[in-house]
Parts: sequence; structure tokens; C-alpha cells
Amino acid sequence: MELSDSVVKGLQTLADPAYMDFKSFRIFTEAAFHSLLAFPTHSVLDYPELKNIDQALLKHCHIAATTFILEGVKQNADRSTICSCLEDLRFDSERVDAFYELYQKSKTNLEKLLSSIDRCPPHITDVSWRLDYCIKNSHVHKVNQPSYLISFNTENGENTGASSELNFSCTLEQLQDLVGKMKDAAKSVERATQL
Amino acid sequence: MLLVLSDEHKEHLGFLSDVDPAVVGEFGRIAVEFLKKGSNPKIYEGAARKLSVPAETVQHGVEGLMFILTESSKLMISEVDFQDSVLVLGFSEELNKLLLQLYLENRKEIRQILGELAPSLPRYHNLEWRLDVQLASRALRQQVKPTITLKLHLENGDTRSARVLQTDPATLLHLIRELERALAEVKSNHCRRILRNIK
Repeated sequence: MELSDSVVKGLQTLADPAYMDFKSFRIFTEAAFHSLLAFPTHSVLDYPELKNIDQALLKHCHIAATTFILEGVKQNADRSTICSCLEDLRFDSERVDAFYELYQKSKTNLEKLLSSIDRCPPHITDVSWRLDYCIKNSHVHKVNQPSYLISFNTENGENTGASSELNFSCTLEQLQDLVGKMKDAAKSVERATQL
Repeated sequence: MLLVLSDEHKEHLGFLSDVDPAVVGEFGRIAVEFLKKGSNPKIYEGAARKLSVPAETVQHGVEGLMFILTESSKLMISEVDFQDSVLVLGFSEELNKLLLQLYLENRKEIRQILGELAPSLPRYHNLEWRLDVQLASRALRQQVKPTITLKLHLENGDTRSARVLQTDPATLLHLIRELERALAEVKSNHCRRILRNIK
């Protein structure tokens, strides 16, 4: 794993028992993982157990640790990569194990978080429909045609939580066409999973 | 149901009984053409010169025919009602037959054109799809994330637009199930009863 000098320095500080004892290290590491996954985040500076440590240095260590965690998850780093990397930075085995335990526990959730950072077209999450029977309108009488109103609920990947709707109408034949094409797509997905 | 024609309208159309039925046939063709593609006043002048009448008379004649065609198509009046409606114009039998034929031949298309004027949401036109497996992104390497990209083509009057959307396999199956329920609903007893009784 390639790490910048600043990150290396921060991690080396974390490895130093003179700067941080093992108990504080555990609390600090948990706080680092927690800060990436929970909103709103608590800052490492808020933990009373870490109050007696140099706060500027603590901040630096926090940035180093979270960068290391994200870089590891991003590259799908396995146990040997994480552990050897930490050992090279002079972490003792107790700290390596404690760190890896948390890394393993949080990895899936962190992957989900990172995969959601993505520029993508609006994502369809659900569909609503309504069936009408059109009888007449101001321009044509005796229309007597069933017609569907379809509304796709979409979510935008860029700013999570912002959802919108896409509304359109279609005739019975057009809806059959739409469903037929979606089924083709679903069949292709099924076939692809059997490869 | 009979068409109600105003006196002014009857007067405008009265001109048609003075000319050759072939000319009325031509006017009918022009009226249908104008309904499909929009009117073109230059044609009135050309025809007026040939018939040596004011352009306004020709315009009134063609527009009168357009009105008869759109009104009767809008109301979907029957063959008999159409014949009875144009009777008040006092045309020859040949001319009446010609108008009836014009109505019956073009009714479907005129109703289609009128149908487009009805207020409505964008209408479905086509769907294209693509199956991708996302392998990596700037934020996360080594992924296997199947995605279905959908391009939905919509029509709104004359303008076509397309929207690109995305979904995942599980949601796609859910969408299909839900829309199949929508399709099944039209065959339900409730819907069939309504569709049968409102005709």
C-alpha cells in the first residue's frame, strides 16, 4: 500500500507506546472506524479518555488512521497486507491484532459506503402505477381506452437521499412492450449469473 | 347524434354546391392534408385564381370541410347520422356520398391527430437496456456490482426525449412483478365490467 509521508508519520506516532498506551489505542481506533461509518460523527477530540494526549498530534493520527483504513478497504487489502504494513510501521502484535479485528468487522459496511460514492444516473428504487379508463376529452369523444400512469421512484447517487419521480403514461400494449423488454433484461442477468 | 351547423357555416359551405364535384373532391383532399400537416394559405390563392372566385371563398369552403370532418370524427358519429347531418346543406346526392366517403376514410387518422391534443403526461415510446457489471471506481476497487442501465424514450406531442436510469437486479425483478400486477388488473372482473358497460 502506498502511503504519503504525513500518513506514515501519523501511524508511526500511533505505534509508539510512549505516546499512547494500548488502552487509549483501542479507544482511538474504535473512534476512527466509528467516525467513518456513523453520522453525525463524534470527533476523536471529544473522547474524555483521550483528553490528556496532545490534541494537535491526536488530530494528525486520526487523519492518518482513517486514510489508512479507507485506502485498505478501497484496495480490498487482506490480512497479510494490512498486518505487514502495520508491522513495517513498528506496530507491536497486540496493536496489529486489535486494529485488524476492527478492520475486518467494519470492512463490509465501509465497502458499501465507498461504493455509494459514485456518479451514476438516477437509480430506480420502486414503481407506482394507476389504471385509468379514458372516456372522452375536449378533443375526442368515445375514446374508451384503458391507459396506465406509471411513476418510477428514483434516487440520485450523487446526493444521497434526494429522491424524485419520473411520470409517464402508456397504453395497455405499450405497458406490455415495456414489461417484455424489462423481462429480457432480467433474463440476461439470470443467464450472466449462470456463467 | 347529429352535427349542429351554424348558418354562417352553412353559407360558407354553400359555395361547394356551385362547383364541379371533382373540385369538391380536391377541396376534401386539401382539407385532410391541412388537418395532418397544418394549413398553407398559398393553396387558397392558387385555387381561387383557377376558379376565378375570391381566395376567401375557397378558404371558407376548405375550412368548412375541415370543421365537418373534425367535429364528426370527434363525436365519432355513425354513417347514418353523418348523412343526416349534411342533408341540411342541400347538396346533391353525389356530393353527399363523396363527403361520407371522405369522412369514413379519414376518421381514424383524424381521431388520432385529435387524440394527441388531449392533455397528457409524456407517453412511453421505447425502452433500451444494457447490462453492466461494475468492476471498480475511484473510491472502491475490486467490485462485482451488476447494474442495468435503462434508456426510456418518451414522447410528448411532437417532441421526443430520453431519460437514462439505472437499477439493480433485485429491484428490476420487483418492478417487473409490480407492473405485471398492473397488467393483470385490466383483466379483473371489476375492470372488465366497466370496460363492457361504458362503450
